Amino acid sequence: MNSADQTHPSENGGFWSDTGKSGITSWIFSTDHKRIGLLYFYSTLGFFLAGVLLGLVLRIELMAPGRTIMGPDTYNAVFTVHGVVMIFLFILPGLPGAFGNLVMPIQIGARDVAFPRLNLLSWWLYISGAAIILISLFTGGGPPDTGWTFYVPFSARTGTNVTLAVFGVFIIGFSAILTGLNFVTTIHRLRAEGMTWGRLPLFVWSLYATAWVQILATPILAVTLVLIMAERLLGTGLFDPAQGGDPVMYQHMFWIYSHPAVYIMILPAMGVISDIIPVFSRKPIFGYKMIVFSSLAIAAAGSLVWGHHMFTSGMSDTAILVFSFLTFIVAIPSAIKVFNWVSTLYKGSISLEAPMLFALTFILLFSIGGLTGLVLGAAATNIHVHDTYFVVGHFHYVMFGGSGFAFFAAMHYWLPKFYGRRYAEKPAVWAWALMFTGFNIMYFSMKVLGLQGMPRRYYDYLPEFATLNLASTIGSWILASGLVIMLANLFHGLLRGEPFVGNPWGGATLEWSTPTPPPTENFMEEPVVTHGPYDYASLKFELPCLSSKQQDQANQETA
Amino acid sequence: MLRFRGLMTGSILHALPCSHHLLIALLLALTLPTHPATAHSEEQQQNHQHQAPPQQQDQTASVGLDERLGAKIPLDLVFRDESGKAVRLTELVTGPTIILPVYYSCTNVCNYLQAGLARVLPQIKARPGTEYRVISLSFDETENPQQASRSKRMYLTSMNAPFPENGWRFLTGDAAAIHRLTAAAGYRFQRQGRDFIHPVASFIVARDGIIVRYLYGTSFLPKDLSLALLEAREGKVGKTIRTVMDFCFSFDPKGKTYVFNLLRVSATVVILCAGSFLAFLLLTARKRKQRNTEHT
Repeated sequence: MNSADQTHPSENGGFWSDTGKSGITSWIFSTDHKRIGLLYFYSTLGFFLAGVLLGLVLRIELMAPGRTIMGPDTYNAVFTVHGVVMIFLFILPGLPGAFGNLVMPIQIGARDVAFPRLNLLSWWLYISGAAIILISLFTGGGPPDTGWTFYVPFSARTGTNVTLAVFGVFIIGFSAILTGLNFVTTIHRLRAEGMTWGRLPLFVWSLYATAWVQILATPILAVTLVLIMAERLLGTGLFDPAQGGDPVMYQHMFWIYSHPAVYIMILPAMGVISDIIPVFSRKPIFGYKMIVFSSLAIAAAGSLVWGHHMFTSGMSDTAILVFSFLTFIVAIPSAIKVFNWVSTLYKGSISLEAPMLFALTFILLFSIGGLTGLVLGAAATNIHVHDTYFVVGHFHYVMFGGSGFAFFAAMHYWLPKFYGRRYAEKPAVWAWALMFTGFNIMYFSMKVLGLQGMPRRYYDYLPEFATLNLASTIGSWILASGLVIMLANLFHGLLRGEPFVGNPWGGATLEWSTPTPPPTENFMEEPVVTHGPYDYASLKFELPCLSSKQQDQANQETA
Repeated sequence: MLRFRGLMTGSILHALPCSHHLLIALLLALTLPTHPATAHSEEQQQNHQHQAPPQQQDQTASVGLDERLGAKIPLDLVFRDESGKAVRLTELVTGPTIILPVYYSCTNVCNYLQAGLARVLPQIKARPGTEYRVISLSFDETENPQQASRSKRMYLTSMNAPFPENGWRFLTGDAAAIHRLTAAAGYRFQRQGRDFIHPVASFIVARDGIIVRYLYGTSFLPKDLSLALLEAREGKVGKTIRTVMDFCFSFDPKGKTYVFNLLRVSATVVILCAGSFLAFLLLTARKRKQRNTEHT
């Protein structure tokens, strides 16, 4: 993260130069939301890459039937660590921590978040939890092998280092709660003059909905994890039938948090997409209020559907029916969003630049993931495909194809703003094309494999699944090469690329009205908001390709 | 889940013509997880009776268990102890007392029941004989103190731990006394040749003879047993931590629910906190805006 600091990208240093401290302390002890945002960004990105490597290793093992490069025990540990790293260290803190911190305060016209020190503490808790998880891999009985869900009774009995890993996740939970509290307070209290609730950018709205889920659901995860530790260390027997406990209770408690957590992962991603689509369609967002409503509805309804993970675990038929029904209810606000994005595109002046390509990919992949989610939400088909590769395909479409691609879209859309330099467009499009192709080959094969009956979480499979598994593995290589090109191009561009000044995308949200990179307190003078976030009519053209005369002319024409 | 278990035991009921079918059905039901055991097994028991085929209902209608929680067993009853000496229940029920209705010549579940108890008794922290007592009571009026004494030797030896003779008494008695006691406890059994059809259950009474808890099945959980004994200990205040535990986890068997619903209470607290946080943000924001407009 310091390479960026040393090779300073912009003449107008903005928040990069304006610091009392020097070296690494100017970062890890900074209370500036932009620096904390970048800390989050680079730490989550680092863990993402680690998770990608583990995922590639898993795919290599599954390339051919039988033992390819590792045995079952190693495989169990690798997929567990892959899941824990990707979920708890990348997706959950990724968008809110990195881009929420970077962009949200500027978007509402604030100088910083409401509690800057708490914000720094959140990052420290996150990184401490991450360190504890890393330590758990190399100490005690070795890396946990329970899957990221830590299901009892296995998690209470396995000799691997589950206790420490769970403690790490527990700490990270506090980071999420504090971030949530901080964001809710910031959005309520620090909006600039004229920034009414109806003028909040949709990314801010999605963060607001997410923050409430973080505040309300994460404590349950904390309690559940403490109970696992108590089970392992004190033998409390809460989840052990032999001692009067109930393992299904664990699944309830785990999913009461972890299903809403899925919405912590996807809601900010939807916010990113809602901000990018109108900018690159040159058209105000269609159905602003309904998108806001659907964010809140997803947060609320999404908290009531956890039981659909447990259709085969032993629940009453009534419970299955109710959970299945509620799951279908969540599809409604999700579909509202998709329809509104598509309607925004309609008759828009679409420019297919990299952020837009990633955003459009989000819509497609999220729709595929969401619709296959309904296959899983319906009780009858769920029992057919439960714990097969269909599930693996489904959640990778939603989490990676959804949140992951939204993260990439946000990287291309917002990072140049903070670096003052931009990536090269052509390699970015090439990278996107590779990733899109690789992604679909990799995960669509999984969906088909699941329908054919291949169970998940085994290092081996029947010979009849060999062809599609090989295809999936090859897809993973295409995806990975696209990822490498994308990151190389992006970071090369951010450090040495073309200057990025003014408002090249033509966004109407507040972050495009501050200097690039933004100064430490974001604005030269306190902004007064006079128009909505997608009101492009009031926008002044500052395109670098135009001379000042042409710009004035263009502005007069639009006025 | 309940439904599945009910079906399972129900089908076994149909499949087995043996006279022990009820016992087996009960056993199956009762050895299942006992966490909210009282609730589950009671329901299942009712299920079994409903599901019993009609021709068998006559035989078994008088067999079963009606929980008489809060009822008093007559303490003036006289039985014979292992040595043949007459003892009055008041002399034995001097504190929390676990009463096991069995018969000593039983070749089946009574052994499991008593062996199950013998297995966990050494893990109970309370002192047997002084702080609590166990009574095995034969409901077969033809049995004699010699059989009782043999049973006593067997189970005390099987414990593999020192246990005072006085801590577990094995009684026999005449039909009238037996029936008064079992009727008071709602325990209904029936002779069938040399054997009996009877529920597999035991109950715990407090010093004044009030029934505080029924325990089902042949396997006991040390914690359940300790908790039941704690409930039965009247008038005495335990250590603070135990009192707290007692409050948090005491089970109301009549309402089939915990007295203190931890989940509901903590959920309410969380939602109240979040709600007041939101209210605080919304209400004070309005005030601040008013103040701002006043200034300008």
